[in-house]
Amino acid sequence: MATILEIKHVSKFFGGLAANSDVSFSLDEGMIMGLIGPNGAGKTTLFNCITGYYPPSRGEVIFKEQKISGLEPDRVCRLGMVRTWQKVRPLAKLSVIDNVMVGALCRTNSLKTARELAMEQLKVVRMDNKPNFLAGGLPIGERKKLEVARALATQPQLLLLDEVMGGLNPAESDEIIQLILEIKKSGGITQMVIEHDMKAIMRISDRIVVINSGEKLAEGTPQEIVNNPEVIRAYLGDFHA
Amino acid sequence: MKPTFALIRTSAGTSPVAIALGVAILAGLFLFPNFVQSPYALHIMILFFLSTIQGEAWNIIGGYTGQYSVGHAAYFGAGAYTTMILMQYKQIPPWYGMLAGIGVALVVSLIIGSICFRLRGPYFVLASIAVAEIMRLSAMNLKDITNGAEGILITEIPVFKIGETIVTDFLSKVPFYYIGLVIALITILVTWMVQNSKLGYYFQAIREDQDAAHSLGISLPIYKNIALALSAIFTSLSGSFYAVYIGFIDPPTVLALDISVQIVLICIIGGIGTIWGPVIGAMVLVPLSEALRSNLIAQMIFKTGLTSEESGIGTFLKENLAHAHALIYGILVVVVILFMPDGILGWVKKLTAKKGRG
Repeated sequence: MATILEIKHVSKFFGGLAANSDVSFSLDEGMIMGLIGPNGAGKTTLFNCITGYYPPSRGEVIFKEQKISGLEPDRVCRLGMVRTWQKVRPLAKLSVIDNVMVGALCRTNSLKTARELAMEQLKVVRMDNKPNFLAGGLPIGERKKLEVARALATQPQLLLLDEVMGGLNPAESDEIIQLILEIKKSGGITQMVIEHDMKAIMRISDRIVVINSGEKLAEGTPQEIVNNPEVIRAYLGDFHA
Repeated sequence: MKPTFALIRTSAGTSPVAIALGVAILAGLFLFPNFVQSPYALHIMILFFLSTIQGEAWNIIGGYTGQYSVGHAAYFGAGAYTTMILMQYKQIPPWYGMLAGIGVALVVSLIIGSICFRLRGPYFVLASIAVAEIMRLSAMNLKDITNGAEGILITEIPVFKIGETIVTDFLSKVPFYYIGLVIALITILVTWMVQNSKLGYYFQAIREDQDAAHSLGISLPIYKNIALALSAIFTSLSGSFYAVYIGFIDPPTVLALDISVQIVLICIIGGIGTIWGPVIGAMVLVPLSEALRSNLIAQMIFKTGLTSEESGIGTFLKENLAHAHALIYGILVVVVILFMPDGILGWVKKLTAKKGRG
């Protein structure tokens, strides 16, 4: 399978603090990559480096055989990589459909086409029953789904999901898991998922990368990861390893 | 506060009643000078159009894009000064000078945008004020070009001719009335077009969350600069119109901070980020400031008999209310921000929505 994203020796320093140091791995087309690690390990920083919010201090990011590190986030999005936010960022005073249309307008100039595209994405996340509700009034579960719909509307090849299940109840989490698996099944979209819910991440990921203190600790299939003593030590301490 | 699940789009089409009402108002506005000859009434209407143009123009960058520029006097002054300088010293008629003014305002807006849009929130506000102040001080001191603090007085407006027929000689207020009305209508039309296009969606996305907008493929510098340029074009147009209509400009009347604040207030009071908000804001502010200037409020109080002209309070009001312009403005703003955070238009909408549900 072809490689869609290659992260090569990426480091990010904030002053003397290395939020990421020398992280390298790559994603194959169509797979779901899980990204896990304790709080503060540098997962979101890595997302920010990949999508252009921070330029990496060292190393480079190759997307579809093109170097994208140093590009602005809007350019990265137009190339086909989009992210969602751990702390959801709905366009509060716009309606649900308008939120998704903003994403869809990335690929079209016509409002009519954008509205149709947006409606399709709302169907995917099962929110097509309330297109005219204000995004700011939605409960957290629906805000998270709206984030995903809006990101999908930009028609990405690579979707980066930053803790889409954070703060959700089990039923809502399960819905998101189904959604991620459906996106995979429909084909054409590779996904990288940051998640704290271990059960969920083990279930959906094809491969998992573990980050700890900014460094890559391990990489492998979910089976390999649960049996890796390094990972257990990072999460539970020496006693359990 | 409990979450509101308000339907924001109740009906897709516009009702025939609303269309009929719109046509009637429009016809009334066009026929107005045929029935009302009072120059004062025409003057008030012209000021109303002027405020509408300013408000709608600011609304594009402030209301839709969420970049609160408190330096719009820069573009107002750019339009006013360019038109006046060209007319007075180079004998170029104002309808060409107006276009030159737009050109100058565009250049100024691109310079301001490329510098100030690196800043966000309050820092952008401060930078926009600073730039307008730089323009004012420059106009004060570049005496060779702007005539400094003495200002520029029009001696004569050239006659407007198409071919050999004289369209108007600008001797009465009527031509200004129609010019103001047409520019105001164009400004409203452009705002409507912006709102119903990709630009409108992108502007509002930037207003709601810049980082989210950035992640969805929206280039922040490009779209912010487009918004500012559009806004500058119409603000400059209003400046040119004002200058030729009043016939005199100097730095304090076209480049001062109060002009910038006044422009912002039109939108905040009417309703920010809506097409009709600035119109309503102008409808409230223009009569209010005129009433204060000609002491109408004090006289109204005497008529209602609350206090007589001879009493101590009466004399105090009569002498001071006309100068309390800024104070009353301030009170109005406080009231609006406290009780109608979405402006008068938003407040009315909320009331009708409540009635509709109950």
